[in-house]
Parts: sequence; C-alpha cells; structure tokens
Amino acid sequence: MKPFRYTSSDWFGKASAGLLLGFLLSLALGGLLARYGLGGVAPFSIQHQLTMWLVSPLLVIILSACFLFRSSAQAWLWLGGANVFAWVLLAL
Amino acid sequence: MRSDIIKLYKDVHTWTGIVSGLLLFIAFYAGAITMFEAPLQRWASPPAPFGELTPLEDSQQLIDRVLADYPDARRGYQIVFQPSAQFPARMSWQLPNPEAHDHDPPEFMHANLTADNKLIVAGSEASPVSQLVDDLHRQVGLMLPHEIAMPIMGSVALLYGVALVSGVIVLLPTLVQDLFAFRLGKNLKRLWLDFHNLLGVFSLPFHLVMALTSVIFAFHDQIYDAQEALVYRGENAFIQTARDASASPASGDKLSPALIAARLQEQQPEFEPHRMIVNDAAQRGPSLVVFGSNPRYGNRSPDGGVVGLDPYTGDIVATDYMPGMQSGWGATITSFFTLHFGSYGGNTVRWAYFFLGLGGAALFYTGNLLWLETRRKKQKKSTAAQAVEQRRSARILGPLTVGVSLGCIAGISVSIAAAKVLPALVADIGHWHTSIYYLVFVAFIGWAFLRGTALGAVDLLRAAALATGLIPLISLAALLAPGFGWNYSDGSGLVDVVASLGAIILALLGRRTAQRIRRAPHDSLWYIAPAAPLAPAEPGKLERT
Repeated sequence: MKPFRYTSSDWFGKASAGLLLGFLLSLALGGLLARYGLGGVAPFSIQHQLTMWLVSPLLVIILSACFLFRSSAQAWLWLGGANVFAWVLLAL
Repeated sequence: MRSDIIKLYKDVHTWTGIVSGLLLFIAFYAGAITMFEAPLQRWASPPAPFGELTPLEDSQQLIDRVLADYPDARRGYQIVFQPSAQFPARMSWQLPNPEAHDHDPPEFMHANLTADNKLIVAGSEASPVSQLVDDLHRQVGLMLPHEIAMPIMGSVALLYGVALVSGVIVLLPTLVQDLFAFRLGKNLKRLWLDFHNLLGVFSLPFHLVMALTSVIFAFHDQIYDAQEALVYRGENAFIQTARDASASPASGDKLSPALIAARLQEQQPEFEPHRMIVNDAAQRGPSLVVFGSNPRYGNRSPDGGVVGLDPYTGDIVATDYMPGMQSGWGATITSFFTLHFGSYGGNTVRWAYFFLGLGGAALFYTGNLLWLETRRKKQKKSTAAQAVEQRRSARILGPLTVGVSLGCIAGISVSIAAAKVLPALVADIGHWHTSIYYLVFVAFIGWAFLRGTALGAVDLLRAAALATGLIPLISLAALLAPGFGWNYSDGSGLVDVVASLGAIILALLGRRTAQRIRRAPHDSLWYIAPAAPLAPAEPGKLERT
C-alpha cells in the first residue's frame, strides 16, 4: 500500500471546517474557561474580555492545523466531534 | 519533518501570503507612520489662533466663563495639560452630533483666555491627514464604510496569521542552516528568500502580535455577540457583580485643575498627565478622569492610559486603565493593546515599531517578488534570442505589486504634503486628502500596468521619491515665501527629516532598479526587450543596445 501523502488539493473543505467549526470551538473553549476556570464572568469584565481575546489565537491555531487532517471529511468529523463534546460540556 | 507536509504548508503559505500581502503592505507602511501621528498632525496643522496657553492656575476662571456662555460644554469638558495639534487650547468640549457613527472622530470646540482676559473660542483646525493615515492603516488601505472594511481587515489578519504559522513550518527544517545565511550571489531568488526569511524570523513575535490582535480589533463585536447568543446563557449566564458604590461624599468644593494635577503628581509622580475630562453626567465610571502616559508601563491606547479621580479630594479612585496600577488580569488584557500600539517605553519603542513596521512592509513586498520569481518561465536554450513571454499571473501580479506598494507610499506622501496647501484653497480638507491619496494610488497602479513591472518600477520609484520629497519642499517653500504655509520649531521638523531620507532612499532604489534592468537576463521579470515593434517606445537611456 502506498503511504499517505499530504497535498493541498482539498484545502477548501479543510479550511472551511477550520474556519466555521474552529470559530465555534474557540467560543466554546472560552466558555469552558469562564465556567470551570474562572467561576463565571460578569458582562464585559476583564475575565469576559479574556475569553473573547482567546478566540483569536485558538482560531489561528485551528486554521493552521486543519490542513493536517487527511481529508475534508475527517476535518469536519473531528472538529465537529470536538464541538459536540465542548458544547455538551458547556450545556451540562 | 515529512517533505509532503512541508510542501503542503508551502502551498498554504504561498496562497495566504499572496492574497493578503499587498493589503498588509499598506497596513504596515501606514501603521509605521502612525507611530508618529502626533508630530505628523502638528506638522500638518495650521497655527492655532489661541496664543499662549491660559496658565493652569487661571483655568477655573476659563471654565466658569465657558460654562456660562456655551451650554454644550456643560455636558462635559476637558482641561488640557499638554497642548497638541488636536487640543491646542486650555479647554475643549465635544460638539453634539446625533448623526455621528461610533467610530467617527468626535468634533471639538476649543477655548483659551488671553493674557488680557479675552476669551477665544474656535473650532478645530487640526489637520485630518494623520487620521487618513490611521484609517488606511486600520482598514488595510480601503476607505470603505467601517462595517465593510473591518471584516475585510479581520479576514486579512486571519490569513496573515496562518501565513506566519505556515511560513515558520516551511522554514523549520532548514532554519539553522538558512537563518544567518545571506547569499549574495547570482541566484537572485535565493537572495530574496534569505532576506524574506531573515526579516520574517527576527520580527516573528512582532508579526504574531499584529496578526492576533488585529483579528480581535476587527471582530470583537461579532465575537461578543456570538458569545452572548451562544455561550453565556443558561448555566453559564453572566454573573452580576454589584457596582462599586463607594461614591464620594458630594460635599465641599471641587478641586481646581491645578490642584488636581498637583494631587495626581503627588500620588503617581511618573504619570505624565495630558488632559483631564470632567463629566458630571457620566453613565459609567468616575466623573473625573485624567488621560496621560507612563513610559515605564504598558499604556492601553497609543496616547497612554487613564486614571479616575475623586473630583473633591483628588484621590485616585479608578485604576482599571492606569498604567502601573492595574490588576494582573487588567494588565494582561492591556498588554495585548500595548504590544500592538507600541505604547510602552516611550520614543525608543516608537522608533523600533516604526522600523519593524517598515520591515513588515518589506517582508510582504519580498514575499510577492518570491512568488513571481518562482513562477516565472525559465528561458530555454533554443529561444535564447527573444524575451520569454511570462505567464498571465506574473504579468498581472508584477505590475500590481509595484503599483500598489509604490502607489501607497507616494499617495500618502503627496496627501501629507498637501496639508500645508489645502487649508488656503478648499473647505472640505479631509475629503481632499482622501481623494489625493487615491488619485496618486490609482495612477501608480495604472502606470505600472502600462509600462510593465520593470520599467514601471523604475518610473514609479522615481515618482515616489519626488512625491516624498514634496514634504520637505513644501516646508521649505513655507519658510521662504511669506504668507504661505507654516513651520514650527519643535519636534514636528522630524517629519521633514524622515521624508527627506525616505525620498533619498526611494531615489537610490530607482537608480539601482534602472541599472538592474539593463543587466537583467532575458527571462527575468526585470528584463526589458529592446525596442521591438510590439513594445512601446522606451526612453533612450533605458534601452538595451
């Protein structure tokens, strides 16, 4: 069997997953930090601002890393799964 | 690292870079200039009619007279400690403008008492050209409505962030070997690549900061909205904290501005107050705040930080944005702004950011050149006699790169130079500054396409040198011709010095480029075919013979 080799040919599927699901995941991770790390935040408090700022580095990391999924389908599946996990944790 | 991953990220780097590069060039070039927005605005603004600043001790009298005559000032006013082109008088207040958008700069009235107790009140004549440069910076050169320009800027910033990460990944395997290598040799692409890598690696922290903060500057409203709609609800609902009810006992007399300044000096000797704002009807926050800066700490905005004082005692009551007095959390958030604005460390950091900004512009310019060099068709032995017909993408991107970057430089220069001419000629100065910028910008791009990459670059470098030279020339004209323009004997002369140096550098680059196209190999982007029937006639001096 030929070993898997990465190409940039399916960039659009991966990048769109990275952008949409990455944005939602960054939001959820900020929310998880607020709830479980900071014990809740007051509107526009400094802690709230921090969870907002967090979106930028997380999104850039996810957008940069999403090309390492082997296919668009895998990108959507894994990032979708991570979102379900994070948002369920947040809704509990 | 696996070669296919490197290749993958090379593609990612190439395309994110090529899409965002030219817009980033404008953002960085204009951003470098905004580091000296205050001296630039001073240079560009006509002399204010106020004369000597009212002595601080007499400011209470000034306040009383203004409040009696100008109802608008009763809603809030400010007392200026350090005059600037923006606030040239001792007192100023904001004019109500119900039609203004959130991001429109507010309009001010200014008032000053002369030595013989005459009250002078006048609107602002501060030049809008520094605001134009700032807008070009914040909106990546697109003077579109804020709601349209900001998402574009944010998307460019995201692409830029991904371009930085992917660029580092591509460079990683050969980092040690390539980093200090600067191969001046026959291989020009190698030279450009070395230069690109050198700039990129050594200013990487600066660039990461710019990319990550710009994403937030563009999208903070949308993220807050999304958080409110999706995250902070149900179990995660916002917690409500009681507002600090430690309001001061409203008794006795308010302290005069001179006493406020003295009390602040006593408590925070290193804080340099610029202006104090009195607003008794403040919805949020204290009714008296002082804006100022402290170069020993990070300041939240380019002009510094802000401290809230008790108007009766002068005690510091609000330190959320006060440099050096913030909580750990607050200082952390402030550091994101500070690192973007370079608002720490005073003039040393200002200069460092100026050069880092210009270096950033050079990074994007060399990135585009690399794209072109990589894609250009190499000459085959069999067609040695003719020029190589380059791909369409190169024929478009080449002139576009030259036209956009030099057009931005020249457009800003001409628009700045016009500041000393426009007030005497036209009324709507801001509109004229924007039009002049775009006129030059578009003309440069058009000329680049007309003449092609190489000849266009030579012409436009010379034109940009001339455009930038206009700045000191206008100042010189103002010095020689009585009644025309103005000059100040303060730090704003820096503008003339820097512009002169810039003009000289552009002229030298023009000379080098002209020499290069005479020597360029036939398959180079910089090759100019000898006057062939198809090519337009070239100036004799540039022809190959």
